[in-house]
Amino acid sequence: MAETAALAYSRRFFFLYDSSKVQEEEDRTREGIYYFSPEDTPVDQQELLCGQLAGVCRCVSEMSSSPVRLLRLRKSKYAVRMKDSFLWALSCVVDIPDVSVCDLLDQLIALFCFYNGPVRQSYQLYSKEDLALRWARYLCHLQGGSTELHNIFSCVRTIDSTHIDPLLLLKAALILQACQRCPLVLAGCILYRGRVVSTQMTPALTMKVMVYETQTYSQDFRVTANGLSSSVGSPSSFTATTQVFLTPTELYMLRCHPVDRACRSHCSQPPCQPSKSRFLSRTLSDTPTTDTDSSSLDCPPVSYQTMPSSPRSSLSDEPYFSPIPSRVNTPLHSNLMNQSEYFTPDSHDHGTLNGTNLCAVKESLAGLNIKQDTDASSGSETKSEGLNSDQDTQSDEIKALANGYEQSNCLDNHSDHDNQIQNEENKLDANNHVANKNGKFQGETEEEARTKSKQVEGRLKEKYEPRNTPSPHETLADTSLVPSVLYQHRVRGLVLALLVEPEFNTDPTAREEVHHSSMASLNGLEAHLRNTSPGTPGPPGPYTFAHYDCIQNTLTTNVCGRSAGPQEAFVRATKLLHSHFSHLDTLQEAIVRLGSAVYGTRSMAQETYFLQQGTPVRNSGSPDPQDSAFSLPRKARQRLLKHGVNLL
Amino acid sequence: MKCLLLANESAEVLFYWTDTEFEQRVQEQYGVSQEEGERLPAFEDSINTLFAPIIISCSTMVDRLGDNYTSFSTENNHIYVLHQFEECLYIAVNGDGDETEEDLKRKIFVMKKLTEIMFGMVTFSGALLRKELRPQDTEQRNRLWKKLRSLLETYSRLRENDQSFLVEAVERLIHPTLCEQCIEFLERRLVQQINSNMDRMGEEVLHAFILVHTKLLAFYSSRNASNLYSSDLLALIILVQDLYPSKINLDETSEELESSSVPEVFYTPEPSPPERESGDSPPVFQFVDPDVQMAEDSLQTLEAPTPDPSAPSRVFLESKECPMPHSMYCLPLWPGITLVLLTKIPNSHVATSVCYFLEAFVKLEKRLCEGHEGAAAMRGQPSVQEQRSRLEKLIKTWTSQLQNAWTDFKNKAFSRSGSGFTRDLLPSCRNMKTQLCGVYRQFFAAECMGSSQRLAPHLQERALSMVQEKLMDWKDFLLVKSKRNITMEFPGLIHFIYVDRSNGQMIAPSLNVTDRTVSELGKGPLADFIKKKVWSLVATAQRYLQKGYATVTLRDGDYFYCYFLCYNISNENDMGYKLEVIDIPSSPDDGAPVGMLTCDYYRKLLRYYSKKHQNEVVKCYELFTVHLGVIPNEYILQHCSQLARKLWEPTRIPLL
Repeated sequence: MAETAALAYSRRFFFLYDSSKVQEEEDRTREGIYYFSPEDTPVDQQELLCGQLAGVCRCVSEMSSSPVRLLRLRKSKYAVRMKDSFLWALSCVVDIPDVSVCDLLDQLIALFCFYNGPVRQSYQLYSKEDLALRWARYLCHLQGGSTELHNIFSCVRTIDSTHIDPLLLLKAALILQACQRCPLVLAGCILYRGRVVSTQMTPALTMKVMVYETQTYSQDFRVTANGLSSSVGSPSSFTATTQVFLTPTELYMLRCHPVDRACRSHCSQPPCQPSKSRFLSRTLSDTPTTDTDSSSLDCPPVSYQTMPSSPRSSLSDEPYFSPIPSRVNTPLHSNLMNQSEYFTPDSHDHGTLNGTNLCAVKESLAGLNIKQDTDASSGSETKSEGLNSDQDTQSDEIKALANGYEQSNCLDNHSDHDNQIQNEENKLDANNHVANKNGKFQGETEEEARTKSKQVEGRLKEKYEPRNTPSPHETLADTSLVPSVLYQHRVRGLVLALLVEPEFNTDPTAREEVHHSSMASLNGLEAHLRNTSPGTPGPPGPYTFAHYDCIQNTLTTNVCGRSAGPQEAFVRATKLLHSHFSHLDTLQEAIVRLGSAVYGTRSMAQETYFLQQGTPVRNSGSPDPQDSAFSLPRKARQRLLKHGVNLL
Repeated sequence: MKCLLLANESAEVLFYWTDTEFEQRVQEQYGVSQEEGERLPAFEDSINTLFAPIIISCSTMVDRLGDNYTSFSTENNHIYVLHQFEECLYIAVNGDGDETEEDLKRKIFVMKKLTEIMFGMVTFSGALLRKELRPQDTEQRNRLWKKLRSLLETYSRLRENDQSFLVEAVERLIHPTLCEQCIEFLERRLVQQINSNMDRMGEEVLHAFILVHTKLLAFYSSRNASNLYSSDLLALIILVQDLYPSKINLDETSEELESSSVPEVFYTPEPSPPERESGDSPPVFQFVDPDVQMAEDSLQTLEAPTPDPSAPSRVFLESKECPMPHSMYCLPLWPGITLVLLTKIPNSHVATSVCYFLEAFVKLEKRLCEGHEGAAAMRGQPSVQEQRSRLEKLIKTWTSQLQNAWTDFKNKAFSRSGSGFTRDLLPSCRNMKTQLCGVYRQFFAAECMGSSQRLAPHLQERALSMVQEKLMDWKDFLLVKSKRNITMEFPGLIHFIYVDRSNGQMIAPSLNVTDRTVSELGKGPLADFIKKKVWSLVATAQRYLQKGYATVTLRDGDYFYCYFLCYNISNENDMGYKLEVIDIPSSPDDGAPVGMLTCDYYRKLLRYYSKKHQNEVVKCYELFTVHLGVIPNEYILQHCSQLARKLWEPTRIPLL
């Protein structure tokens, strides 16, 4: 009992433990601890937790012939992943839903693998200390949600689009589409001050990409100054690339271009269709066009679009993928067009916008993006180029997390250290380029990707709800990770992040073209966004709500900051209901009351929670048709319409 | 794949129960790892080895972090639930998806309750409980474990099939006239006759009740009896069902008619085989290891001779002071209908005294552990001298071990050469506790009780035939009534359960899922489906209730579910519509599951309500409903409201 006081249970623990390092009697447990957070936990406590948890987990998993997934203690619980001799464990307080903490751990592991590749290999290449810094960064990034709800739903943070001209969002989407004309570009996203403006990637992938954005942003422009990263342009605008690793599923999904997907969704054998909803929902390229059915039979074979050199298979693409007037009008866009034609004679032009549906698209954009983030970058405008306040706190948190390490170094050392990491990353990049030069590699991975996709499809069918994390087994299966490259073009607070084929790095023309084609429009977009005043959040209504979009992984809520009073009751009920929804697929709606009643409803695409503030009912709990709790569904439908939430 | 295990802190297995699947799995695991020709370890040893690392890690966590594991779940959905009661660790495992974490936790708490019913205060001492649960004598241990396993299986069967064990409340047969007649009969004829007879050997009937399957027909308590708590009554029904199981999956009526022609014979039905042996799932894989076979054979021969039919069971029932020893006589009137007598045994006052002193030493130990010394250690207790003289008076008739322990304690505590009331007194204090438990055990444990202590057999037979005579004409009606207790009249309402938590009783339409009996819901797969839904509704409602949510409505698939927990006070005759809302506190996650059998959650809840309404009798009830989802919400809520008013009525008739 002696140590009880020392071990604060409000803390979240996370550790990675390798039991293969502790096998002999004389081996000390600390040899197996690869990373332990918080880092200032006394080593004997680290050893105690790792040793005991790893021990029981192994015992249980042997008895059940299956890895342990969740371990509960009286005062906390741990999401667990076991793979080979590795054990990851992430703790949280008991009232966080199981599904949330398990998702969080999977995301964390996925993030690490995305930037560093297979775990075992990374620990062979880099020192524990280097990687500890990265774990801390990822951990901080994932836990940095602005409210408890953000962490429960582990959602992607988006810009507050209620105060932004929808045309800007359209513009962002077009920039991304223009970049995709380069056949080496897989997909991209545009971020502004740590929030998503537009993305073509799955929420999970977007989330991963965002970490790099935050990281480079907080590093300011040192990287460019030291010339460690390949960079072009002025200090306020630069580009960088970094090596990343994709799972075969991710890669496969990325290589199915939206064009073909739209088409394939009408085909008899649609490999991507069940997961269509995971894609691009924030851009326009996925907007279904009703007039395409006639051409459905002419859709190209599945693998076609991933081969840059393959000839155009069918002319039928022409009618609805032809350039559209609205784009040609602007010099910027015509410029882009030319360039992309130069790059891709076989046309990866997949703009779905033609004159007729532009309006519709605009409308749907407006509908899609009426979201209110009350915490949205309030006051961040004070610094024109400065960090978003969220990011400020984040980088503080990183420091706090890594305190044991950083306290001994001054800031300069720290940056040196970062550079070192960057250096090593670059080295790794170079290695990979060599590997990729023998073209065999590419072919193999594609084969692999295709077989994988079949399995993936099966899994997706099993899972009724698209999850925001890739299948953990895939991430954990080290060998299957495919190296890829993340390209980033920053213009002050605005970042264009593109996932590109590895050849992109060795293809200076491609690089230059993508850079030049997007630079002007990025500058324009940045200027517009910078001058958009952040909307002042309206007075909070007599109700509290949260709307979670399971497909885009976004959350709209009027709960802000530290919740107290009715908001606390709301968050508590939301946690329970979210957990209940995640366990019971057939559950559509629920009303639960403790003091005030909370209504929860969900469909395939969303979960919505609603609480009406007001005087509690005067009864002792007996069933009463007049009870205001039961009118919540109606009230929620009415009230939430103005937040863009349609419950009809 | 199921398992339940009790172990003490030194990782010694005190009891285990496994189903065949779990047993096979363990044996396969060991079979593979064994060298060829080597003998398979005894199953108990394998279990011990398997769980030892978990048990040891548990104590490490408790010692060093002050925290403990409560559950593990694996990727293939195996669940392990752990709970520590004092020195005893319970582990329940499920690997077939039949049970949730909550179910396993409940099972652990029910197992705990059953040991309390069987061993009373002995469970307070780890060392004595170990002795009790794990007797040195193999034969005796096998007998005890067999009994415990059978009880556990009986509980699981009831929990899976019987609504009253789903909501943990006693179900009554709704027939006020007959019920009243029976109560009168029990009081005026039966209990009076027995209690005035010389052959009762100093025992006195305190409670008498008649069960039709698991449902209560009539219950009578004599005037000087203390209250029988619902949790105990439910546990007693498990014991009765274990002795005389209702064959839930068979249509009993025809058999019963035949067997009823010989009512005079004292009827002891063959204990029905546990379900797994019932032949519907022959074991897929059989070990034909000669050693194992032999062990099983020898087990057969070790089996106890058929128990003496007129011997009572020893049960320990809750009372205000302590677990009081009683004798329980189960007299089967006909298959499915049982008369139960609970008697006070001679010397039972000793239990009260032992408890009194035990409590004093427990308090003293606590104070000493906290570092209080001298007079401060005795604060909050009657004066030392008074207790001392009282103990001196009583101790002469008790065990010599206790006398020795007392001498030792006195020397340390009161003499000049001793340590006085300091930490050094702790070992003596603990020894006193153990010895007091020992006295309790010696007086009351079933094993120690003389076999002649019982109501004379002819008295039991007389009681049996009296009640048989009384109920002869009603018998068949009762058996049918127990299957179709009440009928429903609300269109669109699929099912409901109404529970009055103030008296621990419930009302619900029957849910029979067998082919041959037709319930309100018809038969076959639909009824089975509804049954699953009802079971999950209750589990869900209890989960929310644990967090303090007293109203829950759910739209799930094609159905709409409601749960209401309400309270009312005696002078309020309008269902409590005008009463203010009292938010109930949420219970900690590691606490006991909501229920009556497990921890009497509702008794605490009533106390909580009473605090807000002092000097008034507070009642508390629950309503679970399942409606068709197509019915508009307003109508559903109206139904619920009408239903609650209607159901509220019969409970006003003082049946108990």
